[in-house]
Amino acid sequence: MIERLRVGAIVVLIAGGVFFTFVSTTGVLRLPDVYTRAHTASQADTLGAGFALAAVALAFGWQPTTVITVLLLFFIFITNPTAAHAVARAAYESGVEPWREDEP
Amino acid sequence: MSLLSDVFLGAAAIFVVLAIALLYRAIKGPTMQDRVLAVNVLGTNTVVILALLAAGLDQPWFLDIALIYALLNFLVTIAISKFTVERGGII
Amino acid sequence: MATERVLVPIEQSVTLRRTVGYAVESALDSAGAVELHFVAAVTNDERTPTGRRAVEDAEGLLDRVRAWVDEDGGESMTVETAAIGTDRYLFSPRDYADTIVEYVHETGIDRVILDPEYRPGASAPMLRPIEHRLDEQDIAYEEAPVERRTRRAQFVTGGGASRFLALFLVSVGFYLVLGDPTYWFDLVTGAVTGLIVALTLSHVTFPKPPQAVRSTLRTLRFFVVYVPYLLYEIVKANLQVAAVILRPSMPIEPRMTRVRVAVPGGLPLTSLANSITLTPGTLTVRADDQELIIHALIPDAREGLFAGGLERGIRFVFFGRSATSIASPEERGDTEIIRGEES
Repeated sequence: MIERLRVGAIVVLIAGGVFFTFVSTTGVLRLPDVYTRAHTASQADTLGAGFALAAVALAFGWQPTTVITVLLLFFIFITNPTAAHAVARAAYESGVEPWREDEP
Repeated sequence: MSLLSDVFLGAAAIFVVLAIALLYRAIKGPTMQDRVLAVNVLGTNTVVILALLAAGLDQPWFLDIALIYALLNFLVTIAISKFTVERGGII
Repeated sequence: MATERVLVPIEQSVTLRRTVGYAVESALDSAGAVELHFVAAVTNDERTPTGRRAVEDAEGLLDRVRAWVDEDGGESMTVETAAIGTDRYLFSPRDYADTIVEYVHETGIDRVILDPEYRPGASAPMLRPIEHRLDEQDIAYEEAPVERRTRRAQFVTGGGASRFLALFLVSVGFYLVLGDPTYWFDLVTGAVTGLIVALTLSHVTFPKPPQAVRSTLRTLRFFVVYVPYLLYEIVKANLQVAAVILRPSMPIEPRMTRVRVAVPGGLPLTSLANSITLTPGTLTVRADDQELIIHALIPDAREGLFAGGLERGIRFVFFGRSATSIASPEERGDTEIIRGEES
């Protein structure tokens, strides 16, 4: 029973991870400028990676490698927004104008 | 367990496809920051792919590589972002 | 006695105000008449928004300097201000130095006062091309004796035993997570690596010694209250943004906003800025002290940001429950939607 629950949880988490990474990829390809792309790149992607890594941690269960997975998860949650901020700031400082829907 | 590893490998395959799609943005740009961003997302995807393969193929040591890759990915993004603004003064 | 002409090259810096004060003071003290020249070297780069902004910034700065001179009692003084170099493309520090030397020759400057933080076109403080050029040309210059607030100051503060120990334990712990804690070789190499890391970096990692009791309470609040709240916000907002992005018409309304947050700098501000970036639909673009420039993707995200939920969360983590009863940024009037050009 517990094993079934675990497998179910893993499948759900993986589905979530694939979905949010798909959203992030779509965003990076579709959105009009670097700032809006940075949104999905940092956030949807972080969540997607978070779900997928949680699934991996659950699959490994209680063993030392799980600690590495959790570390990886934690690390991605800290660095991804920072990296997106660095990119957006670099764009802002080199004078990239933000896109607005009312002025094409 | 083989069902589960199939799920992991299938998810890894989807991630690979998404990563290839991201290459379009990395090549097309149009600005330097767009490319850096695309490469950063691609790097995160690579980390996830490595983790999924570690689970799917039951090779836990893949995770060590994923960790190092995540560290490098972050450093590269920060370094290039700073470089595009400050032209040479990276640190 | 002939009028002495003094040149002060200016740019935005932390010591500019005091440099101007020093220049005025020394002019008031001197026996003869003094003419003060304040010049801002700006590169000609009309094609990019940054370039246009640079010229406007320089003019604004020169106006401010004039006001400062009046404040410091120099109303009667002859003051010249000019933006130079706008007719050419300045790239390296050497170009800036050349422009200034040219100005010195054209207007017959006798003396140059330098702002210690004056670094046009460069971020590396090791090179001092302006001083070098002035030396070459035999132009008298002095550095204004104003206090320089270096960022290096915090690297050399003392009191490092607890910092050293904390970083040592953290690095050895990390090493053993990756290695095998029961294998003697990993234990020895881990200890050596941790020692090297702690010796070289303990002063960089912790700006001040870690306080065990307060940080434990903070950590507890952070993980028990804030992280679940943040995760809930992230998932909720992510679904909203996903719905917007996946819809074929893609109804986004991106805006740059400026929010002044009631959170002190350092770790609290960093946590807030990172949380804002993690929440979909809002992205911190710049953080100048308490003033965050945030890009919001959809109106919902913008309203959530102006309501200040995350700000309250951070205040709770770092200052306790009593700090959470604060008006939202919108009620305080600390929010503003800006257009790219006006920023």
